[in-house]
Amino acid sequence: MTSFLRKRIVSSAIPLVFVVLGVFCLARLTGSPVDLYLPLSATAQQRAEFSAAHGFDDSIPVQLWDYLAHAAQLDFGTSLRTGESAGSMVLKAFPVTLQLAGMTMLLAILGALLVGSLAAYRPNSLIDRIAGLLSMTAASIPDFWFAIMGVLVFGVGLGWLPTSGTLGGPEIWVLPIATLLIRPFGVLVQVVRGSMVGALSAPYVKVARSKGADPKRVVFGHALRNSITPVLTVAGDLTVGLVNGAVIVETIFGWPGIGKLMIDSILQRDFAVLQAAVLITAVTIFALNIVIDVCHALIDPRVRQAVPA
Amino acid sequence: MKSSVPSSPRPERGRAHTVLALLATSTMLLTSACAVANSDTAGDAGSADGRTLRVVLTQEPPTLEPCESSLTATGVVVRSNITEPLVERDPTSGKLEPLLATGWRQTKPTTWTFDIRPGVTFQNGRPFTAKDAAFSIDRAVNSDLACNVDGYVFGDAKLDVRAVSPTRLTVTTEKTDPILPLRLSFVEIVPRTTDTKAKVRIPIGTGPYAVTSWQTGVSISLARNADYWGKAPAYPRARYVWRSDASVRAAMIDKGEADIATALDHTSADKGNTVAYPNNETTALRLDGREAPLNDIRVRKAIGLAVDRKGIIGALLGGLAKPAAQLVPPGVVGHNDDLAPAPYQEAAARALVKQAAADGVPVHRRITLVARNGMFAGIAEVTEALQYEMARVGLNVRIRMADTATHLQYQLRPLPRGVGPVALLIMHGNQAGDAAFTTSQYLQSDGPQSTFGTKDLDRRIAAADALSGKARQKAFADVLAYQNTSIAQYAYLAHMRGLLGLSPSVRYRPDSATGDEMRLSEVTPATAGRR
Repeated sequence: MTSFLRKRIVSSAIPLVFVVLGVFCLARLTGSPVDLYLPLSATAQQRAEFSAAHGFDDSIPVQLWDYLAHAAQLDFGTSLRTGESAGSMVLKAFPVTLQLAGMTMLLAILGALLVGSLAAYRPNSLIDRIAGLLSMTAASIPDFWFAIMGVLVFGVGLGWLPTSGTLGGPEIWVLPIATLLIRPFGVLVQVVRGSMVGALSAPYVKVARSKGADPKRVVFGHALRNSITPVLTVAGDLTVGLVNGAVIVETIFGWPGIGKLMIDSILQRDFAVLQAAVLITAVTIFALNIVIDVCHALIDPRVRQAVPA
Repeated sequence: MKSSVPSSPRPERGRAHTVLALLATSTMLLTSACAVANSDTAGDAGSADGRTLRVVLTQEPPTLEPCESSLTATGVVVRSNITEPLVERDPTSGKLEPLLATGWRQTKPTTWTFDIRPGVTFQNGRPFTAKDAAFSIDRAVNSDLACNVDGYVFGDAKLDVRAVSPTRLTVTTEKTDPILPLRLSFVEIVPRTTDTKAKVRIPIGTGPYAVTSWQTGVSISLARNADYWGKAPAYPRARYVWRSDASVRAAMIDKGEADIATALDHTSADKGNTVAYPNNETTALRLDGREAPLNDIRVRKAIGLAVDRKGIIGALLGGLAKPAAQLVPPGVVGHNDDLAPAPYQEAAARALVKQAAADGVPVHRRITLVARNGMFAGIAEVTEALQYEMARVGLNVRIRMADTATHLQYQLRPLPRGVGPVALLIMHGNQAGDAAFTTSQYLQSDGPQSTFGTKDLDRRIAAADALSGKARQKAFADVLAYQNTSIAQYAYLAHMRGLLGLSPSVRYRPDSATGDEMRLSEVTPATAGRR
């Protein structure tokens, strides 16, 4: 297991490095933030002083080295926009997104296991067809459209839910989670169904059935457990996608999470915050991937042996 | 017999259960943490208790620093709510009214003297004197803080500011400045204890409200200033939240989650809960006269004739605008009442382009039409309509939608090189009410937001700027007419109107300043008994 873990850490760290370096360089290609932060009449000297004070007058390799040297000491710089520490801004925003993503994935997995298993238990039945139609629709609906429709129908029309915001009772979670949930739920139902259909037609299930095993135990005890690996794989990828893709939900519903912080930082050319947000998100995704891989390895020993050296 | 079924061995099932249990436990912890963190049931904007005025903005202010109050997102919260200037411009009449100064006069050609209002205290309890006024002007205009108010309102001017007594202030300029009091209406007064080396996060002023908290990303809360020198505002508290989506802002009004919502979109707002108002913003295409084919005045005028203003306003802007013939709307000193919007004449426009082509102008060279995302509701559709209309008269146009930072690169000097001819869709808001602020920026040949001009135009602008009263009005009106006939750097689109969402529980009449300065003290409850 230690060897497996070491190999996965090395292979997962490579994209992390590329993402962090890529964002650093691409951000600088979008232009200097000077115009956004200085008045129209700023003199050439003021512009030069602003650039020098924030290190924008250095070459990109020098800026990169400076950034990495400070980041190694957990100093991510200061926000141009707010003057706050970039690291603390990210650390305030990140839990908000993690809460949202965590609850969404739990509900998506549980819902998909239930619906996908039922659909797989009787392939081509009415339940299977309805589940297929709903999951395909769910996986295809654009997030922003669903969010706005949710606000109009359940917020304004029916008055059951608040339109947006982060303060309040459990009801504030419903629309944001539903918006985030719909796509992973749709995908996972398909995965669970496909995986379960395969498992239910496996020889050991046929043998179990022929020997009179309890059908529920066969489906949920044996087949489901053996088909969980692909579900976990896809769920892991979807969780990573949720952390990245919470932008729309956070923007529409006013959630001060990492996605909104990233968008604001890009629009405001707030490089320090953007870099800190990307680095911390990338490390989190890196850790998530490792956790997912460990889960795979715990469930299926073949995974441990399949990792290339 | 069941035990003989060849499934995974027991230890693996145990691991699977452990993984699922870990997953469930982690999420339960997350869930419980959320519940604790969000135990307040009032919502982000606060509860509808009738004592808190709830305002939903389009975005979080980037700063509350008073010297940045010419930024719309900052000014709408700060100006005349938290801090106040010496004088303020009545947005309806255009006249200057006393605020922290009770009177002012020009005591020398280059010197203005202000009488400071006695008995005013800052929100930190310190008395307000002429020294604070002098300090505030120095800090905003003469310091190295690089304040936006410095650039937009004062340009390169340096001021000599002196507190000659606790209640008297003199401000001396290098050249005669007939509108200095108007410029000073943009300087928000702060106490002498304010940081001079860095911009402040939580401002202190003399206004009717003081900041009680700023939860980054969530809300800004204000409380009534108990020692306010003027009439106490109706609401003891105010709270700002922000939602970038116009339909959500509109929904918050419809559902009673907010009392006032800014910048609504005519497509998503309930007409019963909205008020339209002129917001002093004018949209236009700025044509880069340095680059062919836009360096030919016939092509520039052809673009003006090709724009179907009424069609665009009716179909794409919900009728919430008026066709424009100049960069400043009515009510601004210098507005020329005699100028009429260019008529929509496609055939005449096409003929002008053909004439230019016959003289060797490369009219088929591709023009980049640059517009900024989110500049106003429906901007993407308006930009496409403009592209279509320009193409109909024989021009080759491609669209580039940009974010604010990229748009600024096209908008401000030094202008980008090697990008070919650019038609930039701009939206200019003249908050100050005098055409000098427009001409110095957009028309002067070296203006920060101008691509070209002529010496004659520069001379006319400088002459107009030295005048006052009716002579000033006429001179700037002539400048605006001259630009249309002899320069044609701009093809105007519309004088825009804003749409404000108002809950039935409040009374407020927006004016042309509302978009930049929403005075909360002018908002009152609809019913007297509510508070």
